[in-house]
Amino acid sequence: MKKMMIGDRIVKSFGEGHEKRNVLGGVSIEINEGEFVAVMGPSGSGKSTLMFALSGTDSIDSGKVVVDGKDLSAIGENELSDLRRTTMGFVFQQPTMLSNLNILDNIILPAMRDNRRNVAKISEKARSLMQRVGIAELEKRDITQVSGGQLQRAGICRALMNSPRIIFGDEPTGALNSQSAQEIMDILSEINADGTAVMLVTHDAKVAARTERIMFMRDGTIVSELKLPKYEGMDMDGRIEVVTEKMREIGI
Amino acid sequence: MYYRIIRNDMLKSKVITLATIIFVSAAAMLVSLAAILVVNLSGALDMLMTQAKTPHFMQMHSGEVNTARLASFAEQNRNVDEFQVVEFLNIDGAKIILGDRSLTNSVQDNGFSIQNEKFDFLLDLDGNIIHVSDGELYVPISYMQDHTAKIGDKAFVSGKEFTVAGFLRDSQMNSALASSKRFLLSTHDYAEIKNLGSTEYLIEFRLKDMSALGTFETAYASAGLEANGPTITYPLLKMINALSDGIMIAVILLVSVLIVAIAWMCIRFTLLAKIEEDYREIGVMKAIGLRVSDMKHIYLAKYAAIAAVGSVIGYALSLMFKGMLLENIRLYMGDSEHSSLASLFGLIGILLIFLAMMTYVNGVLRRFRTLSAAEAIRSGTSSETSAGTKRFRLSGNRWFNTNVFLGIKDVLSRKKLYATMLVVLVISSFIMIVPQNLYNTISSKGFIQYMGIGTYDMRMDVQQTDHISAKTSEIVNSMKNDSAISKYVVLTTKTFKVKTENGSEENIKIELGDHSVFPIYYSKGRAPAAETEIALSALNAEELGKKVGERISLATEGTEKTLTVSGIYSDITNGGKTAKAIFADNTADMMWSVICAELSDQSLVDQKASEYKNRFAFAKVSDIDEFVAQTFGTTISSVKKASFASIVVALVITLLITLLFMKLLIAKDRYSIAVMKALGFTNSDIRTQYISRSVFVLIIGIVLGTLLANTLGELLAGAVISSFGASTFTFAIHPLSAYLLIPFMMIGSVLIATIIGLTGAGQIKISESMKG
Repeated sequence: MKKMMIGDRIVKSFGEGHEKRNVLGGVSIEINEGEFVAVMGPSGSGKSTLMFALSGTDSIDSGKVVVDGKDLSAIGENELSDLRRTTMGFVFQQPTMLSNLNILDNIILPAMRDNRRNVAKISEKARSLMQRVGIAELEKRDITQVSGGQLQRAGICRALMNSPRIIFGDEPTGALNSQSAQEIMDILSEINADGTAVMLVTHDAKVAARTERIMFMRDGTIVSELKLPKYEGMDMDGRIEVVTEKMREIGI
Repeated sequence: MYYRIIRNDMLKSKVITLATIIFVSAAAMLVSLAAILVVNLSGALDMLMTQAKTPHFMQMHSGEVNTARLASFAEQNRNVDEFQVVEFLNIDGAKIILGDRSLTNSVQDNGFSIQNEKFDFLLDLDGNIIHVSDGELYVPISYMQDHTAKIGDKAFVSGKEFTVAGFLRDSQMNSALASSKRFLLSTHDYAEIKNLGSTEYLIEFRLKDMSALGTFETAYASAGLEANGPTITYPLLKMINALSDGIMIAVILLVSVLIVAIAWMCIRFTLLAKIEEDYREIGVMKAIGLRVSDMKHIYLAKYAAIAAVGSVIGYALSLMFKGMLLENIRLYMGDSEHSSLASLFGLIGILLIFLAMMTYVNGVLRRFRTLSAAEAIRSGTSSETSAGTKRFRLSGNRWFNTNVFLGIKDVLSRKKLYATMLVVLVISSFIMIVPQNLYNTISSKGFIQYMGIGTYDMRMDVQQTDHISAKTSEIVNSMKNDSAISKYVVLTTKTFKVKTENGSEENIKIELGDHSVFPIYYSKGRAPAAETEIALSALNAEELGKKVGERISLATEGTEKTLTVSGIYSDITNGGKTAKAIFADNTADMMWSVICAELSDQSLVDQKASEYKNRFAFAKVSDIDEFVAQTFGTTISSVKKASFASIVVALVITLLITLLFMKLLIAKDRYSIAVMKALGFTNSDIRTQYISRSVFVLIIGIVLGTLLANTLGELLAGAVISSFGASTFTFAIHPLSAYLLIPFMMIGSVLIATIIGLTGAGQIKISESMKG
């Protein structure tokens, strides 16, 4: 399988002098095209930092990140932004919407950056995405007028607008009730089934159990890896069991 | 505990605290300066007029004087304290040479006098009465100011040599607006040159009771005494003396009002931003049972500290700068007796500002009371309404670049926030445009229309000479044959008696001739068009209690003439009391005549003026620019200085406020910036968004500021101008500077400030701002 993202001995520290603390202590990771992966670990294990490093939203101290054959440390700030906009999509724990735009405008925002002349086409695509995640009727609402689950779906629509090759999700279900969480995971699985790679950062075994490969982190390093068969909508309890067993085994 | 909270808070927002202190200081300084100047000006003026014993009533007269008759009038009038007739020897400017320059080009009537014995003293620069020795000449102080003469210079008057021994303060003729200037020499020297010029007389009175001045004026007029010349009274002298510095004070006051407004905005903005920032904490404090007044105290203490520091700095600065601004007053009038009182008034002014600020902060903090603790904790932000922006959708946007759209959208959806910046920009463009327009207006040729002078190129005054009418026609004849002169008119001034309401008679000077050739500006009505019409100067109309359409009756050689008032105009010439009519009259004596001319080729003005000067030595020839420059020169140049200063001030304010605003905005918008960046917007995209915001606000600001400047500004400037004697006026706008240069400079400074302010945005890390 083709590798779309390679992280090689990534080191990242925060603070200075005595307070200096390595958050990533030489992490190496590879993600293939269309793969569905999860990074698990307790708070402070460095899983979010790893995600920010891989997506080029944060600089690293040493090591390198290669996306699509491009070394991120060798390209400029603007190219990084371009890469993020065209190849990556983000879904965060808190819905990160701009408060003065309505739902539809928030969704089309990243697409309008480059292609505003096609506003009709863009809006059409946004509407079909909204249809797909079940929020078609909300397009004119303000972001304060919808629920957390609906907002998260809108966030996924936004992440999909530029047809990215990978979607990063940082605890995408963390702020949702279990019903909504499950629906969001269904949507993400579907997206993955269409060929988009998905990388989730989570401490929730139920979320991780949906993926094909889980990397476990502790104190800034990947301590273990677990492979699962592709989820086909069956035996969820069994998969969760395997994940929690593994977690117990390595003590996280 | 308050101290610690306040200190931490200020350290956290150094730039903003500093900026607020700067504006409060500037406001305090200006208010204090204005107060100090007002007290000093009035004090110094009183002092000068007391030391010099300025006459309460003065009648200028050219022609014979019957001193005995005047003396007996003075004796019989119970209100007269002292009386004297002063000689004023008029000598043509060409015959007066100071150092190596002659006064040929002076529009002033330069004359020579000896020191008076009873009152109306000419003072030296220490305020002492000057005693002149033979061979010495004391020169009016305005010639020291414009560097025409210095002490020790040789001076020649009609060939007789003098030494400039010093400069003099003249409580009557100090001001450039007074059209005569007195030189002082010894009695012996005066007798020697007496025959070289024409003598005018100043008939002067000091009264026992100043409040009965009006009655005295009437008594003098109805006694039929010498009155061939302007009449000037104490209040008019006082006004003329105060005018130049008065305008400066008015400008300072105007600017200080605006700076106070900006300091206000600053406080409002930081306070609102702070409250929003602390919204959740305020809610929590309220929820755990802290009283509203406890929280208010913390905020109030902070702003009290800022306002106090600003006031102290402002006061200190005003004490430092007052010397500079008092220079002119000191030079022309000397020191004031109330200088310590002045500083006290400055302090009171500052105290008022301080109190007003505290009241304001207290008022803003009142919203604590209505803040719902539950909502504050739940949402963390006060919900800003964004009514009216719903239609402005990205999905409906075809015209704007997405970044520009986002910038404009943000402004529209947070109107309250941007209103602060808008107001500052409106004020800034206002204080740039108004003084600039004022300067353009008073320096434009058309402005003299407001002053009762038509827009001609050259004027020739024939006065203080015999056979005025013959000499005038001599000039007219040569103008008739001069192809360079496209049109001209002769205006002859004569004195008539006018019946007042109460039946007594007063002198009125009427300028007769065709007033349609070089029209002046009439604040009400129009120029006299028929023989039965008359136009009055604003001062005369007020004094006679006449409005347009009413009638007045003139006494001419036994017959009575009834005239209808056709218009009222502003005038500063001849003490402001003039009238214009077109009827023919052969009875009354001619006081003087003026021939006004327009040239077909305006570039020839200098040449023509000197040509006529040489041909008609008896007339005073001046081209109009020179006339204006010498009459309003100092005023125009100080308004020019003020207008440049206000441009600089406004640009600095724009720069500072925009910078401050951007810093606050970025601190507030960290989160949305991080979201944008995560979505793949570049730093330059974000810069474009913020620049669109400030440019959008700026454009509205400039439009509003310009509109305001042309309406309210015109009214305000009109108020300043009306102190000259003009009652209505419109701006002469220089379109290039008002509509291009000033907006361009503002856009420049806003862009610079925005870009500098945005440097912080580039450093916002997505990873740090998105957590939690």
